[in-house]
Amino acid sequence: MTDHSLYDRLGGEAAVDAAVDVFYRKVLADDRISHYFEDVDMSRQRAKQKAFLTFAFGGPNRYPGAPDIRAAHARMKLKEADFDAVMEHLGATLAELKVPPALIQEAAGIALSVKNDVLNR
Amino acid sequence: MTILFEGKSFELLPDETLLEGIERQGSSVPWFCRQGICQACVLQARSGTVPAAAQKGLKESSRRQGFLLSCVCRPTADLEVERCDASRRFLSRVEQVEPLSEQVLRVLVTVPEGFVYEAGQYVQLERLADGLMRPYSLASVPGSAALEMHVARLPGGAMSGWLPGAVGQSVGIRGPFGECSYVGAELDRPLLLAGTGTGLAPLLGVVRAALAAGHRGPIRLYHGSLTRAGLYLWAELTRLVERAEGLEVVGSVISLDLLPAPEVPAPELPARESAGRCAISNTALDQLVLAAPIDWGKQRVYLCGHPDLVRKLQKKVYLAGASLDRIHADPFVAPGNAAR
Repeated sequence: MTDHSLYDRLGGEAAVDAAVDVFYRKVLADDRISHYFEDVDMSRQRAKQKAFLTFAFGGPNRYPGAPDIRAAHARMKLKEADFDAVMEHLGATLAELKVPPALIQEAAGIALSVKNDVLNR
Repeated sequence: MTILFEGKSFELLPDETLLEGIERQGSSVPWFCRQGICQACVLQARSGTVPAAAQKGLKESSRRQGFLLSCVCRPTADLEVERCDASRRFLSRVEQVEPLSEQVLRVLVTVPEGFVYEAGQYVQLERLADGLMRPYSLASVPGSAALEMHVARLPGGAMSGWLPGAVGQSVGIRGPFGECSYVGAELDRPLLLAGTGTGLAPLLGVVRAALAAGHRGPIRLYHGSLTRAGLYLWAELTRLVERAEGLEVVGSVISLDLLPAPEVPAPELPARESAGRCAISNTALDQLVLAAPIDWGKQRVYLCGHPDLVRKLQKKVYLAGASLDRIHADPFVAPGNAAR
């Protein structure tokens, strides 16, 4: 079964590595949400984006659970539009990397599953 | 495996990660992903062998300094680790203080025994009498006779006001810190270095280290200031360019009208056409850097000095295509009302 996980079908860690800069550049260049992603330590911020993509790709299981995701985002007071913008860039990133639409849908579904935690509601 | 952490030593259980072992001892280290990705749980090895898997994803300069991700660290030999902010104090002595301009002092202090650093890193300089500390970047290179710092003289500056009268006195040195260091393993890599004010100091350290290593890739050094006088090391930089073929130096001065200096080109001239590999322009530093005719994907980039400019350039240079692993940013954040 593991052979057929979304993570493996997307290409595993190599796919995450390929996607992380495409994705991080997109959110950083987006004036609507870039301020959430600006950080003195950009490498650390980029590492967070990698953790997020690993999660959205259905990656290895030990990603923080929903309570941690909630706690990590609570202070940011994110709005629905912020979440939607990130989803947009996730989709665009995968499309740019020629990921088939069905797999993009699956990844989007995983990201959507924590929407309420991210938006703290 | 025996682990030494914060003065306590303990045995790691089979299959236990370093982070788990530390937590079992009742200490805590910040963590988030626990799978070696987010870098929240980074620690620094003081001695012992760091498993390669515990350094995956870290910058090369961080790896060389022994930084490791404790959540995926499974040591195969004894290891001494500490938190990254902890560091011992070395004893040094102020050897020489000379003004480089009205605003900047060159301060030389002795290299403490056992003090190891890389060109471009910074230290905390401590006045022993009262523990006053200020961060200063090093312009010297390992092997130099002294540690060289460029100290901005600030009105009422506690450290910068004290140093001129402190020659011969003992001082403390903590560190070194920072990732703004020269990477010796890639002699053909093009380097771009940009800094404002005394942000020049670590950049000079990196350039000196590169030249000493026989760096073959082109090196572009940008120094920005509001006034011509703020380019406090211009004469020395032009002499450096004469001796180093691959080096180009660009000064950025916004208020050119204040400048009587003969080497200043007419304001409208693009920098590179005016004086070979050494020119002053009146274009703002960030615009000059971003307009550089280079392939950002190949560059190693060093940014030091004013925090707003460093952050802005860091972002723009990354968006222009530079790899984050090859952007070394060192914003000079002022503690309270003082600065380096």
